[in-house]
Amino acid sequence: MNNNAKAKSKLLLSRTVAYLVLIFLSVLCLFFFYLMILNSSHSNFELQGSFTFKFGKFFADNFNNAWNDASIKIPRGMLNSFLIAIISAVLNVYFSALTAYGIYAYDFKLKKIADAFIIAVMMIPSQVSTVGFIQLAYKYNLTNKLWLLIVPSIAGPATYFYMKQYLKATLPLEIVEAARIDGSNEFVTFNRIVLPVMKPAIAVQMIFSFIASWNNYFTPSLLLTKAEYKTVPIMIAQLRSADYSKFDLGKMYMFIMLAILPVMIVYIILSKSIIKGVTSGSVKG
Amino acid sequence: MSDVQLKNIMKIYPYTEAKKEKKSLFGKKKEEKPEHHTAHLQKTEKGVIAVQQFNLDIKDKEFIVLVGPSGCGKSTTLRMVAGLEEISEGELYIDGELVNVVEPKDRDIAMVFQNYALYPHMTVYDNMAYSLKIKKLPKDEIDRKVREAAEILDITQYLDRKPKALSGGQRQRVAIGRAIVRDPKVLLMDEPLSNLDAKLRNQMRAEIIKLRQRINTTFIYVTHDQTEAMTLGDRIVVMKDGYIQQIGTPQEVFDHPRNLFVAGFIGTPAMNTFDAKLVKEGDKYYVEIENEKVELSKEKEERLLANNVESQDVILGIRPDHIQITDKGISGKVDVSELMGTSSHLHMTVMGKDCIAIIPNNGETVNYMGKDIHISFNGNVAHVFSKADDKNLEY
Repeated sequence: MNNNAKAKSKLLLSRTVAYLVLIFLSVLCLFFFYLMILNSSHSNFELQGSFTFKFGKFFADNFNNAWNDASIKIPRGMLNSFLIAIISAVLNVYFSALTAYGIYAYDFKLKKIADAFIIAVMMIPSQVSTVGFIQLAYKYNLTNKLWLLIVPSIAGPATYFYMKQYLKATLPLEIVEAARIDGSNEFVTFNRIVLPVMKPAIAVQMIFSFIASWNNYFTPSLLLTKAEYKTVPIMIAQLRSADYSKFDLGKMYMFIMLAILPVMIVYIILSKSIIKGVTSGSVKG
Repeated sequence: MSDVQLKNIMKIYPYTEAKKEKKSLFGKKKEEKPEHHTAHLQKTEKGVIAVQQFNLDIKDKEFIVLVGPSGCGKSTTLRMVAGLEEISEGELYIDGELVNVVEPKDRDIAMVFQNYALYPHMTVYDNMAYSLKIKKLPKDEIDRKVREAAEILDITQYLDRKPKALSGGQRQRVAIGRAIVRDPKVLLMDEPLSNLDAKLRNQMRAEIIKLRQRINTTFIYVTHDQTEAMTLGDRIVVMKDGYIQQIGTPQEVFDHPRNLFVAGFIGTPAMNTFDAKLVKEGDKYYVEIENEKVELSKEKEERLLANNVESQDVILGIRPDHIQITDKGISGKVDVSELMGTSSHLHMTVMGKDCIAIIPNNGETVNYMGKDIHISFNGNVAHVFSKADDKNLEY
């Protein structure tokens, strides 16, 4: 009895400590989001004054100011960013999965070398390859074209690597053989059998790929010079160099919030697909 | 609904592992894996030979069982028929048509896998309908066929479930359903029951026999379980180390095993073997063992005579069920007596060797534990094998 009480209090203590640490970390992560939403609801005047935890009344005003800003066209920027990010994410994930499946499920000469080569590409910093890419783009007058930012995303070695590991862990080749015997050709098998099995991995990589593309500043800033093609990160960067006499902090916080919002929405939608055990029940484990 | 011919089929797996080992970094040798699968197989400079000299004519609507210990090449043979493995040498005909290089999807065969291999994201209905959808059959026809197959296998109530919500036995039914739904020319089964527990296995075995009566097609069934082989097959193909050991009806294989391996593999408990002498006196053959001298049956004598078998030292094989307890005969000592209900299994030491006898109880149970007894056998159940090459002298 005494021992039991002791064990109970020990458990309580360890749980309390664990929860305190977790709460602290959560606050640390979420505080900045709170701050952003809080600040976007205050006017420039209020923000230059003392700090308050209360929400202000200028949320709608700030939104209107930001959305209809004459110099920084955020709706256009968001559309550009969204198009690039979503198409890139879909292409990247689909073709990486296709490549990973090809390397995983088939035996062919140079298979190991192909695999090693793709992994080796992963080791090259993107800044290095971007230099050549930019030069190429300027040489053939391909600046200010959105598709130029989309097409290279097809080759995603990191995504490929993740997909291959996922396939190794979850896809028994018997399923593929069963599909072959059932009469489906290799491409149909991939689209109708393999892709659904890979759904959780696809969701994870879609999130990563979308966020990376949405937040990408480096390459777009070098290639997109015309106002109508600019993406959100370029516009956010422009804010910093804006005229200080007309500077509106509330509007700026609203810009930042608008920049983050789509990422959060995509994450919430896709995270539902990250469920474990899609293959469970397929073959005897 | 087709005949299948396998002519001199051979499968060679090229060395890939060995090369990898040579290349491995720092010259460190990898730990050798216990490769019991390839340990006994013949190795040539081309690679490991998994199957060779495989000749078999399978008649239309015949039920053929390939049986053998693991690594004997039975699954490889089946996968070659399915088209999942390349045929290294030889010819494979389905319906008289050479199909060596025909894609699996164009061979019109169906296969049931050992681990079910169901599509995890599809319902039972979609799993079964998949092949028909690929064929682009009309929807109502697909529906009719799927429900018909589900009816046969008694899985109609699970059609809306996903595989993970089914038990092992139900999953295997779905896998069988997926195979029969399209009326294949040949139905291949790769150890379909080996993942089920013993009770379910017996039940499913009976169902496969029933299924066979309902759907008239050619079956090729792979198993390592000799009971399945005996009960299901029209003909059994016993394999070992990539070679066919014997092809025959279950009765033939049981009564006249071609060699010691087949004799030991078919039948449980395994056949007992003793050192003995085969004596020829005129047209008669006798087996001499200890102080027993038993004349072989007429049928066996004729077969031995036809082969011109002379007197020689032989290995005598007697199945446990055929051993009788007598007053005089070969002496032995019972070490353990297991009561099985209608019979007792006696584990004995006879002539310095372990030996098992199955003695019917006939209503009264005698406890033989620890007793010295004498055993004998009849001439029609004695199998004589050559000491030189383990072959049955009848062949």
